[in-house]
Amino acid sequence: MKLTRGSFAFPGTTLGYKTGTWRIQRPEHAHRRAPCHAECPAGEDPQAYLALLDEGSPRDAWECLVSANPLPAITGRVCPHPCETGCNRGQYDEPLAIHSIERFLGDEAIAHDWPYPVTAAEANAPHVAVVGAGPAGLAAAYHLLRRGLQVTVFDETSEAGGTLFSIPDYRLPREIVRAEIRRLLETGISFKPNHKLGRDIHLQDLQQEYAAIFLGPGLMQSREWNVDGVTPTDLHEGLHLLKQWSDVSSLPEMKSAAVIGGGNTAIDIARVLKRNGVDTQIVIHSSLPDPEHPSEEDMRAIPREIDQALEEGIQIHDHHGVKRLILRGEKLTGIEIVRMRKLRNDKGRLHRVAFEGTESILHVDQVIPAIGQVIEPTGMENLLNGSSWLKVDEWGQLAGKDNIYAGGDAIEGNSGTVTEAVGNGRIAAQAIAAKLKQQELPAIDKSESIPFESLNMEYFEPAARAEQALLPVEERVGETEIESGLSGRQASREAKRCFACGNCLRCDNCWTLCPDSAVLKTEEVMVDGSYYVFDYDYCKGCGLCANECPSGYIRMLDE
Amino acid sequence: MSTNNQAITSEQFVHLRKNQPRFEGIESGHRACLGCGEALAARLVTEAAGPDVMIANATGCLEVFTTPWPESAWRLPWMHSLFENAGAIAAGMEAALKAQGKHTKVLAFGGDGGTFDIGFQALSGMLERGHNVLYVCFDNEAYMNTGIQRSSSTPHAAMTTTSPPGSERMGKRHLKKDILSIVAAHHIPYAATASVAYPSDLRKKIRRAMAIEGPTFIQIHSPCPLGWGHDGADSIKVARLAVQTGLFPVIELERSELIGSMPIRNPRPVTDYLELQQRFRHLFDKDDTRAVEELVHIQALADHNIKHYNLRGEGMDALDSDGADSVRRGGMRWA
Repeated sequence: MKLTRGSFAFPGTTLGYKTGTWRIQRPEHAHRRAPCHAECPAGEDPQAYLALLDEGSPRDAWECLVSANPLPAITGRVCPHPCETGCNRGQYDEPLAIHSIERFLGDEAIAHDWPYPVTAAEANAPHVAVVGAGPAGLAAAYHLLRRGLQVTVFDETSEAGGTLFSIPDYRLPREIVRAEIRRLLETGISFKPNHKLGRDIHLQDLQQEYAAIFLGPGLMQSREWNVDGVTPTDLHEGLHLLKQWSDVSSLPEMKSAAVIGGGNTAIDIARVLKRNGVDTQIVIHSSLPDPEHPSEEDMRAIPREIDQALEEGIQIHDHHGVKRLILRGEKLTGIEIVRMRKLRNDKGRLHRVAFEGTESILHVDQVIPAIGQVIEPTGMENLLNGSSWLKVDEWGQLAGKDNIYAGGDAIEGNSGTVTEAVGNGRIAAQAIAAKLKQQELPAIDKSESIPFESLNMEYFEPAARAEQALLPVEERVGETEIESGLSGRQASREAKRCFACGNCLRCDNCWTLCPDSAVLKTEEVMVDGSYYVFDYDYCKGCGLCANECPSGYIRMLDE
Repeated sequence: MSTNNQAITSEQFVHLRKNQPRFEGIESGHRACLGCGEALAARLVTEAAGPDVMIANATGCLEVFTTPWPESAWRLPWMHSLFENAGAIAAGMEAALKAQGKHTKVLAFGGDGGTFDIGFQALSGMLERGHNVLYVCFDNEAYMNTGIQRSSSTPHAAMTTTSPPGSERMGKRHLKKDILSIVAAHHIPYAATASVAYPSDLRKKIRRAMAIEGPTFIQIHSPCPLGWGHDGADSIKVARLAVQTGLFPVIELERSELIGSMPIRNPRPVTDYLELQQRFRHLFDKDDTRAVEELVHIQALADHNIKHYNLRGEGMDALDSDGADSVRRGGMRWA
């Protein structure tokens, strides 16, 4: 039988008809910042390294991580992790355990000795001086090196690490600090210990010898403390005790102590004292943080650390101030504390009011102030001009100084975390490199992160968050680190929980669900990190892919 | 915001299209409406059934939008039957292939009109004679191709052009026909329902039916944005809600015995499903007591399904109505 012309058609010939002409809207891949990325003070993109870890490449994940933060084993232990507060998964079940993953990757890199993905600078590259080998200085040095510049780091002490060594071992073991910093310095950073600014080196000389200077002096001097001008003769302040404990592992004799202050130093020294058998209490003007109702009056310490301190039996007297020291001769036998609140006076200013009739006595033989630290100004007097902070712009450049940058705890408005110091170092290094290479500085990305509502939760399943094992309170003795890291299995399981907010999850949903086969899967990863392209010849613009994209990576635009 | 690198050449597009890591029985360029559930369902079916099949396709949307003469979207041997005889044509194709000693599987495609109503007699005969054919019914719950007339698959109280709501009636007076039970009553080896919102489940059922020698039947719930009155972008959402409310039970029958169902983890109120669709908008007139009664009636139908098919899930289940569509990085689906 002969088929007539109208009775058959050749297969697949509708391809000749471009249904794309029907379209009034087009889908587009639209990367948006994940909240973990937007919130990270160090500039990490956790979503990106979680993806690599999920794909089974922990080393690539670590390289991605250290492209922003070269100290992950350290920050993974001490960072208050605002990334997890921002994490969209927190609105679904529980946020990703990003800090545990960060620590896991940092520890893996140390264990396997993965080299940092940098090469030493060429001999004729401009040379930058970094003063202070704390987190800010080290991060700046590393990022300068990554950008092809030579770096020399100066520090007044004999070892790089700065304030990291005043964090007690139970939180941050010093062998971790040493291991990570040693590996970092081996990348080609020249380190000059025992060089103190204003004694061994001077700003003017550095300015002449080096193309630019980065200052990360930290806050190395304790704020002065007294009660109506009185201090006990054997006064030890918190930061000093922490350093002493870290250097020589011994503390002055005492049975009981009251620590004054609500920052991390106060919590740290209180917990160190407790571990040494000292009955320790904390007195603080501000409030114990309530996760449900964050307030400006909250203690500055990391909430997790406060909780652990309370668990360990440290009593915290919040909204209290010291009214009087009770001395027997020159020896302290107790302090009188009183309830206080911040109230507005008739000029609208906040001031502290002590409430009569609420006094009580703490019988302690030591009072340990830890009420904050200030900059040690030696050698920088001309930069400070009497101020207690270094004032910098958003790129870390000192006002009115062409080639001097600063970062870390000593700059105005800094929150005082290791992570923020790392971020300061990275941003300043970017600015210095651009200036020395006469390149345009890119704008700092301040775009809004993708909100929870832009994701499609139908495609996810609840899954328990990986928790690091925590030593029971009775076993928290001596210097033993109280949290242990995740196993490789736990870490890769945890990485699977990531929603990949605002990025391609490569889940195939758009490819599977397009009724018009107008989403094509590519063989190689595309520059935007996806494996899909839209074939606009056939896409009718229905918007189904955008609705069903679990991670909010597709948006519809009017044609 | 960066955008996708769409700067790939048209040759690369041609290369990509030819090298997609799945079999596509239907090409692009077909004339289905935006967000068509049936077009998606047909592609998913051919993807799972694979290239070694022949299709008999009853008259209906699917036939019309895939074959605007002289073009064809099909990349498979495909024959257009009349509205009423897809079952008979498929039976004949199967008998002819058998006579030639070939093992190509024959599929019969029909809409709900061609299956529930007009082609029902031919379907019943095909099932009764035990032909080795997989009959797929794309159920969009009305005669969409001819202008949204009610079929025996149209759900109770839905508005169509031949069941308009008004002073006499609140949309369709009658109930949706339980075609699966009728088909299963032919004592065939396998009959199942599936939904485009659950592509893995759908493909799994197609593969299962393909492996069975004998008549098999799969009914696929396929939203019609135009006929149901919802945004084409919401097709999957609507289909998913039909399952999650219990209005469209996703079940499997062997020899008319219930052997599996997709449990509902969190049953949703039927209003979540109804309010997305213009065909039910008359049910949301709060001053009309008949509307309120119909909403309660439809909820009762859903509750009845949940009870009758024992659809209530117990805790978390990877294959229940919440778990069956979960995605993983790298596109690893379970089917």
